[in-house]
Amino acid sequence: MNRKKDKGFESPRPFKLTHQVVCINNINFQRKSVIGFVELTIFPTVVNLNRIKLNSKQCRIYRVRVNDLEAPFIYNDPTLEVCHHESKQRNLNYFSSAYTAAVSAVDPDAGHGELVIKVPSELWKQGDEMNVLKVYIEFSLDQPKGGLHFVVPDVEGSMAERGAHVFSFGYQNSTRFWFPCVDSYSELCTWKLEFTVDASMVAVSCGDLVETVYTHDMRKKTFHYVLPIPTAASNISLSVGPFEILVDPYMHEVTHFCLPQLLPLLKHSMSYLHEIFEFYEEILTCRYPYSCFKTVFVDEAYVQVSSYASMSIFSTNLLHSAMIIDQTPLTRQCLAQALAQQFFGCFISRMSWADEWVLKGISGYIYGLYLKKTFGVNQYRHWIKEELDKMVEYELKMGGLPVGSNGHLTCPTPHLHFSIKHPHTLSWKYYKMFQCKAHLVMRLIENRISMEFMLQVFNKLLSLASTASSQKYQSHMWSQMLVSTHSFLKSISNVSGKDIGPLIKQWVDQSAVVKFFGSFAFNRKRNVLELEIRQDYTSSGTQKYVGPIKVTVQELDGSFNHTLQIEENSLKHDIPCHSKSRRNKKKKIPLMNGEEVDMDLSAMDADSPLLWIRIDPDMSILRKVEFEQADFMWQYQLRYERDVVAQEESILALEKFPTPASRLALTDILEQDQCFYKVRQGACFCLAKIANSMMSTWTGPPAMKSLFTRMFCCKSCPNIVKTNTFISFQSYFLQKTMPVAMAQLRDIQNLCPKDVLNFILDLIKYNDNRKNKFSDNYYRAELIDALTNSLTPAISISNEVRTVDNLNGDVRLILEEITRSLNMEKLLPSYRNTITVSCLRAIRMLQKNGHIPSDPSLFKSYAEYGHFVDVRVAALEAVVDYTRVDRSSVELQWLLNMVQNDPAHYIRHKILSMLGKNPPFTKAAESPLCNEALVDQLWKLMNSGTSHDWRLRCDAVNLYYTLFGLTRPSCLPLPELGLVLNLKEKKAVLNPTIKPEQGPDTTEMTGITMGGLITMETVSSVSMSSGVAPPPQGLKRKLDSVVGPLGSSSPEPGQVLQEEDTSKKFKIRVRISSAEDEIDMESPHDSQAFIHHHLNILERPSTPGKEPPAVDQAVLSLPVTPLPSSFGKESTSSSKHSGDHHHHHHHHEHKKKKKKKHKHKHKHKHESKDKERDSHAFSNSPASGRSVRSPSMSD
Amino acid sequence: MADPAVMAGGFSAVVGRSGGGKATSSPAENYQLARRRTLQVVVSSLLTECGFESAEKAAVESLTEMIQSYISEVGRCAKAYCEHTARITPTLSDTVVTLIEMGFNVNTLPVYAKRSQRMVITAPPVTNAPVIPKALIAGQKRTHPSHIPSHFPEFPDPHTYIKTPTFREPVSDYQVVREKAASQRRDVERALTRFMAKTGETQSLFKDDITAFPLIAARPSSIPYLSALLPSELELQTLEETDSSEQDDQTDSENTLYFLNYDDPGADKENSMLPPGGVVPSVKASEENMIDNPYLRPVKKPKVRRKK
Repeated sequence: MNRKKDKGFESPRPFKLTHQVVCINNINFQRKSVIGFVELTIFPTVVNLNRIKLNSKQCRIYRVRVNDLEAPFIYNDPTLEVCHHESKQRNLNYFSSAYTAAVSAVDPDAGHGELVIKVPSELWKQGDEMNVLKVYIEFSLDQPKGGLHFVVPDVEGSMAERGAHVFSFGYQNSTRFWFPCVDSYSELCTWKLEFTVDASMVAVSCGDLVETVYTHDMRKKTFHYVLPIPTAASNISLSVGPFEILVDPYMHEVTHFCLPQLLPLLKHSMSYLHEIFEFYEEILTCRYPYSCFKTVFVDEAYVQVSSYASMSIFSTNLLHSAMIIDQTPLTRQCLAQALAQQFFGCFISRMSWADEWVLKGISGYIYGLYLKKTFGVNQYRHWIKEELDKMVEYELKMGGLPVGSNGHLTCPTPHLHFSIKHPHTLSWKYYKMFQCKAHLVMRLIENRISMEFMLQVFNKLLSLASTASSQKYQSHMWSQMLVSTHSFLKSISNVSGKDIGPLIKQWVDQSAVVKFFGSFAFNRKRNVLELEIRQDYTSSGTQKYVGPIKVTVQELDGSFNHTLQIEENSLKHDIPCHSKSRRNKKKKIPLMNGEEVDMDLSAMDADSPLLWIRIDPDMSILRKVEFEQADFMWQYQLRYERDVVAQEESILALEKFPTPASRLALTDILEQDQCFYKVRQGACFCLAKIANSMMSTWTGPPAMKSLFTRMFCCKSCPNIVKTNTFISFQSYFLQKTMPVAMAQLRDIQNLCPKDVLNFILDLIKYNDNRKNKFSDNYYRAELIDALTNSLTPAISISNEVRTVDNLNGDVRLILEEITRSLNMEKLLPSYRNTITVSCLRAIRMLQKNGHIPSDPSLFKSYAEYGHFVDVRVAALEAVVDYTRVDRSSVELQWLLNMVQNDPAHYIRHKILSMLGKNPPFTKAAESPLCNEALVDQLWKLMNSGTSHDWRLRCDAVNLYYTLFGLTRPSCLPLPELGLVLNLKEKKAVLNPTIKPEQGPDTTEMTGITMGGLITMETVSSVSMSSGVAPPPQGLKRKLDSVVGPLGSSSPEPGQVLQEEDTSKKFKIRVRISSAEDEIDMESPHDSQAFIHHHLNILERPSTPGKEPPAVDQAVLSLPVTPLPSSFGKESTSSSKHSGDHHHHHHHHEHKKKKKKKHKHKHKHKHESKDKERDSHAFSNSPASGRSVRSPSMSD
Repeated sequence: MADPAVMAGGFSAVVGRSGGGKATSSPAENYQLARRRTLQVVVSSLLTECGFESAEKAAVESLTEMIQSYISEVGRCAKAYCEHTARITPTLSDTVVTLIEMGFNVNTLPVYAKRSQRMVITAPPVTNAPVIPKALIAGQKRTHPSHIPSHFPEFPDPHTYIKTPTFREPVSDYQVVREKAASQRRDVERALTRFMAKTGETQSLFKDDITAFPLIAARPSSIPYLSALLPSELELQTLEETDSSEQDDQTDSENTLYFLNYDDPGADKENSMLPPGGVVPSVKASEENMIDNPYLRPVKKPKVRRKK
């Protein structure tokens, strides 16, 4: 991890993977299970390679063989349960560090893994000759909770007829969830993939489909794939289902797959994919690297787009017919993103997590180029502004967002409640912003070295990689396919001759953005513009900027760019003006783009030649600019500046100037059909706001009404809207937006004017789409949204119950429309059920405003599994809102249950993120909902309930943070005095009152203790099954010195580090596979040594004077999944150790008794007695490691 | 014997499609019966002439039938000939041509007519010719214009050609039309949704009056994405109507075809062991035959034994 910058890629592993076979022989949709094996071909790079660490999660491993010899293995997944104790601490700081430690303990980028295979000693000698080792692993998956997702609709018929399908998914490197592998983006190898599926199904995977062969009974067929291009396991995917196949008519090597009945949609949606291909291949001057490409559209997708080597998995909801307008650009954008990631992300992989920003940046950047080409410069600039604003807002809120290599290591992030050192510990929002920032930084680099050089760099990276990919295995060549920050920068300096180090340092390594405040004065005598640019670099998330900044000044004589130097102390900049403030001459005014326009200059300040000023117009700094200029300047800027970003900025600024002049400027923009439609949409909302501010002086009909009438209504009867045609998309979008904005108008009573409401109701009434070749579902949905916007709080006479009788007349009309639309949706559903979504929102708004009784039951029924996902999300949003407003613990419980049990991963994620966005309470406020049970539940959720889904776990952490903050939740009772440490002697003394109660078998469970380390949870391994096991109170010890209650003080960094270590250790469990007939066991000493060795590899340099770590081990004659619950069951059912059982039960009860006494965990050091106890345990155990690893520990 | 029955059957068939049988005796039937009786007399007298002393009733009946058919045919043909030459009354020559056409030697007719033993038969009793029921008189019956000779057929009854406007002038005021269409649609929708709500499960927004604003209950579906993504039939229909002239239409009608056909290939999939979707490419087989895509290749039969 801590790689030196100038070095090439060094594998963290003592071996190099060259080839992997994945064979899945059986996929059972009924039982949702998968059986298969993998075979990894590895070259040891050290002499005496004696253990191999691989990644595997939730797989049940039956046997491992190395070169046909049975090999013992340990399977341990510390992320299953992050904090092992039934921790009473409930402190997020503690959890985060423990979680980070757990994740890094099995981080493949550091050479670690959940599965440790001991190479049979017969093969050790061969290490000298660098022989190939073949590691063969048989595994199965039963009802996988992550990695693979089964969608099995509950209808009649065979699985194929039901449209049952399965696909792999995950966030970042998650392939270990469905087969054992080296789950790192930096370990490349070639692949052979075989999938045997039902004859009615198709298996789509990475690489080339070589052949499809029937099995002997002709009921199944096997798909053989070969991927000759070295690829990381994390980029391998699979989807199996009764897919309809569409060969792309333009590119026959591209194949599209969709679920039954959707083929016509697929045909339409994919009809422009070839254009994207052509675009990328042209700008990169590089052919698409794989020999084929597959797109698969699946239901219940984890994310909309996920890219894997030579294939992408999309959500089926991206498909649309030719009638749909709004979805079309979105789907195209998704396709373009997926394809960009094929080049950078799949074909070119990354060296480490710290280099991820390069890949995300390049793919995001070339996607931006595609946007610019296809959707136009306006759209592109709008998008950049949007992304920049989003990113800046997040940084200011969160206080920094380092993306780059050094940032990960050097930038302390105590302000974050998650660790950014590892992709799996990130908050999802952070990850999105990370991607955002990455491509913005790429754009900055482009600004610096020009696009031509930029593309040359990409081409260079690609051609190096493709040369390397065609090589047979050579240890160093394949690493050319990995990009790192360093290699990227080197390419840039080679190609452009420019050193962009400072730029990278500023924006990549360093977090935070720049916040500018600008104002100016015009000095008439000197004819000089005195510009003052101040910075805020003290508040969180901001940094000081020093360097050039571009300022554009539009004067009467033209537009002039000035580059100013922002230096330490210079705030003021004098910019000489070109024109005198004379404008008697009727002269056209030249604009930036060379255009010359007539302007009405009467609004101007007579003394000044300045029309408007812009700071950093090209967005070449990651910044937020607040600039002050007069209202007429903003108005000129809005009318005459051709850059959409400037127009949007001026619209935002004009909100503060509710004057007739602003109104006129906005109306003019609305009417101008050359103007970018998103600017016009923005102008609508701004106009509504201005109208509300000008309420008393407003003359004429409500804002936009006459405009709308003129644009969209019939000439002969202005109250009736024209029948829909939607031929001009610009007008379509405007037509959609205007009513929504108009509904925000308010009169003096703060009600929506009657005129406006009737107008909207008329629009709904007269809407006629019969002659339209496009669907009007989005338009109708927005009209419902407009109705929603028009709602104002009901005048409530006392707190009476809302009844039909006292329903307001207008509301009755609105409600009737909503009822009718919602009911019609049942009979004629609209595309993506947009209207249902809007109706649900409207109903929630009616409830919230007190027009109808507040009741979540309607939403709950729409939120059930089996509704379209958009509908579910809308309904859940309403329930979340209800939970907050009504402080309902029943609903909160209902939501949390859904988080745990819903089949759709996206919904689970969505619930948690919506709860985070609209929390039922926050850490700042008191709430009856905030109680101990909730803390426990959430804690459990993030501690062990979400181990199958990185994203979900981070969502849970986020929510916990929002609700309770970083420290101990306030609703919990104050902890007892916590720590007893003896720092001088570096040891912990057992509390004498506890000691006697630790029987021999308890010491067995003590787990690994690394001497000298401060451990927070000594016995964590005992509570492997969180649900079953009571907290192992028997081992609580008090330390010599009292450090203080942990709950109220966050641990110091040093402590955190050590906690990481311990939590790593505590999760080590040993399972040595032994075939039932042959016992392939070493002597207990050997296995101890093995484990110690293993641990030493795991650990950072340990303090001297440590005791040898002990390990709790479990011998399993049965294949075991590392799921806590199943583990517990299986081990108790193991009949070999009935004696231990008994004993253990006793202990179990005992612990329960102790529970009340010792509520709190203590930090402690292991003292020598630990050793004694350990050895005691070993000597006690009947001579073999077996009983040490007795199942009782797993309870 | 079943004679009366036979007679009745044959009789009614000859007489026409009155279907009433002999039980009824309308003037038209009386007329027919009288004629028929005369024919029977003719047949009997001819038989007598030929030397028969008695004849079974059935035989007489058959012969009567034959003679009637013959005479009818002569009449029909003669009329056809006359109409062919644009006249309405058959002339002698028409009859002659008819007889020749029917294979009758006309020359023998005068001789036969003048034979000695011929019996004279009394004329049939005078009965009123049946009254043709008057057709509904609609409008003025038109007479021939001057350039059409009067012997040409008269115009048919006016009701066969005149048109009578039965609708009011449509309201062409745009505003009213739109107003009407909108309220009509709204009423239909409201009625339909009310009906659906009344007949099925509902959810309510109010606790005091659950019938106010009834909402059709949300029902989860097992494959929710299908209804949410696929265009509804109504939309498809609209689409076809709106751009039947446009190019898009091709694919769209193709689309509908797929929707309609889907069920079958789906059902077959299991049995036929085709790659799913294999059905689809085969529609465009000609095009895609040359496409070499691994997913379109046939599935191979298992090899004899793969090593382990």
